Amino acid sequence: MSKPLLEVDRLVMNYKTEAGYVSAIEDVSFTLHAGESLGLVGESGCGKTSIAMSLLRLLADNAEFLSGEIRLEGTDLLALTEEQMRQRRWSDISMVFQGAMNAWNPVYRVGDQIREAMDLHFRPRLSTKESNDRIERLFNLVGLSPRMAERYPHEFSGGMRQRAIIAMALSCDPKVIIADEPTTALDVIVQDQILQELKKIQAELGMSIIYISHDIAVIAEVTDTIGVMYAGKLVEIGPTTEVFARPRHPYAFLLLSSTPSVTGPRRKLAPLEGEPPNLLDPPPGCRFHPRCPWATEKCRTDVPISEDIGGGHLVACWNWEQVPEIGTMIK
Amino acid sequence: MVRYFTRRLVQMVVLFLVFITLTWFLLYALPGDIVAQKFATNPNLPPEARQIAIDRLGLDKPIHLQFADYMVNFFQGDLGSSFNQYPRPVTDIIGERLPRTIVLFLTALVTYYWAGFIAGKYLAWRRGKRGEIAITVGGVGLFTVFYPWFALIAIWFFAAEMGWLPISKFLDPSKWRQAPFAANEVFMRLFWTVALTSALLFAVQIIASKVRDVRLHRLVRWGGTAAVIVGFFVYWFAVPAGVEMRLYAADIARHMILPVGVLTAVNFAGIMLLTRSSMLETMSEDFILTARAKGLSEKDVRDKHAARTALLPVTTSLVLAVATVLDGGIITETVFSWPGMGEILVSSVTSEDIPVAVAAFSFIGVLALVGHFVVDMLYGVLDPRIRVSGSQ
Amino acid sequence: MTDLIQRPDMPDGTDGVLDAPIEQHSLWKIRLALFRRSLKANWKLFSSNNVGLAGLVIIGLWAIAAIMPTIFFATGFWSNSVYNPVSGLERNPQTAIVTLVEEKTDPLTEIDRRDMLLDQRIPQDLQIGETFERPLQPAPPDSRHWLGTDPLGRDVMSQLMHGARAAFGLGALAATVTVLIATIVGSVSAYFGGAVDSFFMRLADLLIMIPALAVLIVLGAIIRFELWHLALVIGLLGGFGGVAIVLKSQALAVKVKPFIDAARVAGGSHTHIIFSHLVPNVMPLSFLYMMFTVTGAIQAEATLSFLGLLNVRTSWGLMINLANTEGYLLQGDEYWWLVFPAGMAVTLLAAAFFLVGRAMDEVINPRLRRR
Repeated sequence: MSKPLLEVDRLVMNYKTEAGYVSAIEDVSFTLHAGESLGLVGESGCGKTSIAMSLLRLLADNAEFLSGEIRLEGTDLLALTEEQMRQRRWSDISMVFQGAMNAWNPVYRVGDQIREAMDLHFRPRLSTKESNDRIERLFNLVGLSPRMAERYPHEFSGGMRQRAIIAMALSCDPKVIIADEPTTALDVIVQDQILQELKKIQAELGMSIIYISHDIAVIAEVTDTIGVMYAGKLVEIGPTTEVFARPRHPYAFLLLSSTPSVTGPRRKLAPLEGEPPNLLDPPPGCRFHPRCPWATEKCRTDVPISEDIGGGHLVACWNWEQVPEIGTMIK
Repeated sequence: MVRYFTRRLVQMVVLFLVFITLTWFLLYALPGDIVAQKFATNPNLPPEARQIAIDRLGLDKPIHLQFADYMVNFFQGDLGSSFNQYPRPVTDIIGERLPRTIVLFLTALVTYYWAGFIAGKYLAWRRGKRGEIAITVGGVGLFTVFYPWFALIAIWFFAAEMGWLPISKFLDPSKWRQAPFAANEVFMRLFWTVALTSALLFAVQIIASKVRDVRLHRLVRWGGTAAVIVGFFVYWFAVPAGVEMRLYAADIARHMILPVGVLTAVNFAGIMLLTRSSMLETMSEDFILTARAKGLSEKDVRDKHAARTALLPVTTSLVLAVATVLDGGIITETVFSWPGMGEILVSSVTSEDIPVAVAAFSFIGVLALVGHFVVDMLYGVLDPRIRVSGSQ
Repeated sequence: MTDLIQRPDMPDGTDGVLDAPIEQHSLWKIRLALFRRSLKANWKLFSSNNVGLAGLVIIGLWAIAAIMPTIFFATGFWSNSVYNPVSGLERNPQTAIVTLVEEKTDPLTEIDRRDMLLDQRIPQDLQIGETFERPLQPAPPDSRHWLGTDPLGRDVMSQLMHGARAAFGLGALAATVTVLIATIVGSVSAYFGGAVDSFFMRLADLLIMIPALAVLIVLGAIIRFELWHLALVIGLLGGFGGVAIVLKSQALAVKVKPFIDAARVAGGSHTHIIFSHLVPNVMPLSFLYMMFTVTGAIQAEATLSFLGLLNVRTSWGLMINLANTEGYLLQGDEYWWLVFPAGMAVTLLAAAFFLVGRAMDEVINPRLRRR
């Protein structure tokens, strides 16, 4: 196997608040190879957006990295100076933001906002003609009329804005694109179009994409690997088909059991009871144990260790063998 | 944009007609009004004199005809004669004073808007750091300070105690006894040179912003700015027409510092506080995160994205500020005995010189309307949502 | 912006009324309980803002100051002949030894010939270098007059306290009129839209454009301008002007909420819907603008009385006007008690209301809150 493009290695991050430390990312590791796509799913507040922001080092001022490394082609991003990091943003890692509506500054033309990123990262600077050509190519790629580059964001529809955001994310040939809820604000048909578009572009240009979503079904189609997060921890990660067919972590199992499948066999939906923990004071041991039907005494005291159960499928659970096959009734 | 512009223009004209009608009826036509008391029903005047006044002012005509006469005369540029400085035409008085008020008003408006915006920008960026509360409280204090008192304190400190600046008035009469120029002549020359300089400086900034090449941009921006400023000094120090007037112009300029400074200081705080909260709202917008993610430096995020967008609500507030600054101008002129429209409004009202009062009030209204119009246009230019679609 | 009743962050009710079945209580009781509940929640937010609290404390202190003269006169602590803010006179003023000199440098201890000729109380046969015990008017603070006396021998502190009374009265009236008009105009414009809306909004456009002080000055020429006239005019200008625009946009946001449709479907009349649904939800913002109106009113009153265009007997503006016209202002360091208390009073009270308004703004508008 080739050298991984991006490695997140035992990352721990806290937010410092007046009430105390919020443990937002706890011991998260994963790797991403060039041209691969990874999905991160979990409830809101589980830390998936924090991870995305960590990759760009754009967390709020009160965020503190306690340990771990984020290596991009072997360079630890957390060790870079702010200026070095600034130069890597967008040219190495770019982002497709959620809520495309507000991701554009209303007072500048869309084309100029894309040009702004290119002016920062292309050395020597592109001439006006070169950058215009490039914007035209990007717009054609994402299915927008190149004339739209001369328009202002308020003249775009929601779907068009999202396409333009993708064009902007591609503008500096990034190695990794983070798509944070790329389609959440859009209607279902546009959602599907955008995701297919992204998949097509990825196949064409060969960059890696990290998809982040609360909806596991949305990104299942476009990812090679999927990671499930719960309360700041990556509880399960593995090939998408594998995780979908045989979720081994109780949380992933319950999450999948609580979503109806349109195409698959009929099955009983299991509700996920309780609330996610308060990260100011996370439960000891496994963070999922208060809600877990299979929790044992060990779960209450010992933090589970991530275990490879074959084929790159990792699960952080003491009792993963107890978890039934999906579709089986529980209780 | 053109549609927006014409619609606003028509609105302004209509508003002005409404305004001047109300003013006229308020001051001339209320039963038992001052003009009638002063002449038509004044028992102290001899009957012949009373008759002459009635004839000349047309007081025996029906009200609508009197109003029609006034309007016709108004648009022909005849505003009647002052009662107190009879027979000096009111247009003459207004013509002398209007530029002085406009200068005070414009200088203060431009200075405080610019300075307040810059200060608010830094204040918002420094949120939660030391000194923020002190500046905010100081800003609120300046914003709510009792303005005439503040002006008097400034006079006491800078003029009476320290003796740095003249106490009041437009010029120092002792210096002007031998002057070969009329004060207004010098003043207008000063006005036009400063106006031209500012316009050129502004033009340089606009041209520079169109240049994309970094080094050429810097050259145009700073070279152009320096050239314009040098040009201004060359005129006053090397061109004979400027040199001979320089000392007198300097005297007027010296008298302007305190009134403009005080008016600016008070209004500055309001814009600063507003910019701060507007910046704070903008900084939580998603596009700020986009800008950071693109790898912009903090300075560019602040200046090109946060501040540029925060400028919109601040500009909206200028609509209200136009009236406030004019109000402040009235007080400033009164306190500093600055011979402008506000001072003449107060003195004509207290001395019941009604033709002058009506004219002064109308022209203050015109200033407000024009100011409002300019701000509206500025907003249209700044906000593409208006500029492009032409709707509100 | 949220309305009073539907706050998600309300603490759980401590009021029995809300927990009991609804039909047992009349509607107003439930409303009152809801109101109390939201008041509690909002107070919690408000009191976390130190600057706003400071404003509230300053207002409280001035309110006490405004009441004090009544108590002082009633208890005999102050006698009317000495402490009356208008007609009072200190008959046994402080004295100071002054020397007649050719050219005076210190106005407190020296006089020149011009002063001697102007002041009948000074013996006119004084020679250069001779001293004289001059009664001080204005006199600096002493145990009888804590803030000294003014050039007419009246107690500055008593004037200051009476001035506070005028300021509160004026502010309250102006704010009430403003908000009453603005709430109704705003709600009606938002509810009916169309021609009614256009009319009121164009009127508001006109009013916010006109410099209010110029209007007040001109009006001062036509009528004998009393304090309540001023309050009324400020109320009308604000109520039909800028405040109406703000409250209308708030009312528009309320108008599209489902409970308005529900009320309409239930057969509520226009008046009923406007006054029982629209107006209560615009109220929080109204309170906010009351605070800002008071700030403006206090300033306007002081300015007009400073310009001598207001027919009042005691006012902070008048105190500064007197100090200015009598020429004490340019000696602000020597006669500080004539210059600073009144000016500071206007500034402090105006600022206090402004600060409370700002703090209320942060309660009502969550976007401004510190995250």
